[in-house]
Amino acid sequence: MPGWLRRHRGVIPYLFLLPGTLWLLVLFVIPMLAMASVALQEGSLGTGYRLTFNFGIFPEVLARWNEQFLRSVLYGLAVTVLTLAIGYPMAYTIAFRGGRYKNILLLLVILPFFTSFIIRTISWKFILADQGFVLGALKDWGWVDEGFRVLATPAAVIAGITYNYLPFVVLPLYVALEKIDYRLIEAATDLYASRVQAFLRVTLPLSIAGVFAATLLAFIPAVGDYINAELLGGTRETTMIGNVVQSLYLTNNDYPQASAISLILMVGLLIGIVVYTRTLRGQELTA
Amino acid sequence: MDDRSKPSGIERAVARAFNRRRRLSRRAFLVGAGRGAVAGGAVLSLPAILAACGIGPGASPGASGGSVVGGDPAGTLIFANWPLYIDQDDAGKSPTIDQFSEEAGIEVDYQEAIQENTEFFGTIQPSLAEGQDTGWDMIVMTDWMIGKMVGLGYLEEFDAAASVPNFVANAGEKYKNPSYDPNNRHSVPWQSGITGIAYNPELTGRDITGFADLLDPAFEGRIGMYSDSRDSLSLALLHNGVVPADATEDDVRAAADVLREQAPLVRGYYGNEYTQELAAGSLAVTMAWSGDVFQLQFDNPDLKFVVPSAGGILWVDNMAIPKRAKHPADALAMMDFVYRPEIAAQITEYVNYICPVPAAQEIIRTHATEAADGGDQETADYLTAVAESELVFPSDEMLGNLHSYKVLSEDEETLWNTLMQEITQG
Repeated sequence: MPGWLRRHRGVIPYLFLLPGTLWLLVLFVIPMLAMASVALQEGSLGTGYRLTFNFGIFPEVLARWNEQFLRSVLYGLAVTVLTLAIGYPMAYTIAFRGGRYKNILLLLVILPFFTSFIIRTISWKFILADQGFVLGALKDWGWVDEGFRVLATPAAVIAGITYNYLPFVVLPLYVALEKIDYRLIEAATDLYASRVQAFLRVTLPLSIAGVFAATLLAFIPAVGDYINAELLGGTRETTMIGNVVQSLYLTNNDYPQASAISLILMVGLLIGIVVYTRTLRGQELTA
Repeated sequence: MDDRSKPSGIERAVARAFNRRRRLSRRAFLVGAGRGAVAGGAVLSLPAILAACGIGPGASPGASGGSVVGGDPAGTLIFANWPLYIDQDDAGKSPTIDQFSEEAGIEVDYQEAIQENTEFFGTIQPSLAEGQDTGWDMIVMTDWMIGKMVGLGYLEEFDAAASVPNFVANAGEKYKNPSYDPNNRHSVPWQSGITGIAYNPELTGRDITGFADLLDPAFEGRIGMYSDSRDSLSLALLHNGVVPADATEDDVRAAADVLREQAPLVRGYYGNEYTQELAAGSLAVTMAWSGDVFQLQFDNPDLKFVVPSAGGILWVDNMAIPKRAKHPADALAMMDFVYRPEIAAQITEYVNYICPVPAAQEIIRTHATEAADGGDQETADYLTAVAESELVFPSDEMLGNLHSYKVLSEDEETLWNTLMQEITQG
């Protein structure tokens, strides 16, 4: 250790923080400022954009796209509930009943991630095509109506997002459940708690940190998702806010509107998460 | 053509974020600033960042107009084109490019960098507005975008008669002196195609003849449309009896009303993905591009393509040289090279869009005969199909019912895009 460092030991933690701070500055703070600046500009790509501090754009885009904002949040909530309903029993089973297959089961959970997100979603398109091998066969057997379809419906979009984010939910839940000392649950049942009571009063509260992480990991990307809405939806009834940003940015070259929507979405999610954290912390204390 | 295959567009956008951009424009300041901050500890002030975020105006680079590019090739050509838009052998190399490199002694950096006109324009506009080299010597853009870029003074001017003599000698009359670029001062066609209607007779149960069939409630949930405002609104305009080039604001709003009323029947608004849906049987009838349908027909010969009775669109993708390109003479050499009939035939045999060189048809026929004589019946059948297809070499009757996109002003473009977005996304 060089002499000056020895004399200023207090600097060391900051030195360790330096790479992370620079990373955040370059890849987060600066792009955020750029986005905020673009949102406040007016003009067009041909005539140039000029910074006019047009704060009116925020209420404007909120009013124009409120339906798509709302739909994205609703889809996000539906996805969060579904992933928890599917993921919690999965994580529970792997953690407490997995035995020596635990690692293999966990590997199976993340295995789909070895293929590209887009390829997996496009595969669903082929599987669920109106005349594809699933629906085509069902239609040939007369089990479903000839006009029946799965794709291009809200259900398909929600199911697609749920499928794509399920591993993000299973993993933190598994970690939380795995840490629980099983003897605590045994103690509860020894003290005449029913299995349901033991779950509600011991297992669930002890795994609440995992539930918290899982809901955030599912909800935030689900709200911003546009690939599933694009590929499995594609109708105006399934348009999410991410699709709006994409077409504003790439097709219309309307950078200010696209940036304003992105900022609103970020701030909105941030507020939602703060409220959620507070509520959950209260829960934890009373549990 | 617009908006081909969005998912791969996304993947390409990601890939693009990770590589290239040799030269820094002022707009790329953020990247440079970030690098500077890491390397030299440069101080970033907020005003500097905000200033760098300003997106410069497009006016005035035309000031240097009047001068014509030409001269001797420098030995390098950086060429941006759309995916799968040139001949490729099994190894993924392009015989046309290889032949050109060898003959002209010009090294070609060929990149499939263009997924969409506006998206690509968005990547080069900042450099053009700053009066800087975009990094590309030659790009391929659709007619209306050429018109827009000519208006903004973003393309180098050249003398086709002197620099691209093969174009003058071999291009079809329909491709010379187009309205979007009078006298081909800035562009010559690469390939072209038709926006029309494709259908699966097995699913429709009848012949489709016009745009009215796309409005038929009988096909509810099995109708495909383009998300691109130009394609969809142009066909709707023609359906209303308006030639797109003459469309007024009221005409466009009326056309948008037609599409808005149609929206509940529509399965989806697509870029290039409609081809999968059509092949998979999810769509019975859809707007389509001729070249796509020609290729789909090899898997499903039942599929049909029609030019709507009220008229379709003939779009033309053009080669052009962005302003201040480093190697304009090399680009001109390439343009001239692909207008040799045998080279045009070679590209068309692979790409299957409409070839701007009529003489290529006879050459493809000859290649078919040669393949048949050589005992390769499969290749012979394929080449015959290419040479005889109305989708590759359209009849005069077909061409007579085709119109061009309107070259839109800045305001019109905003109007068209806004109207279309309301229809596709709510």
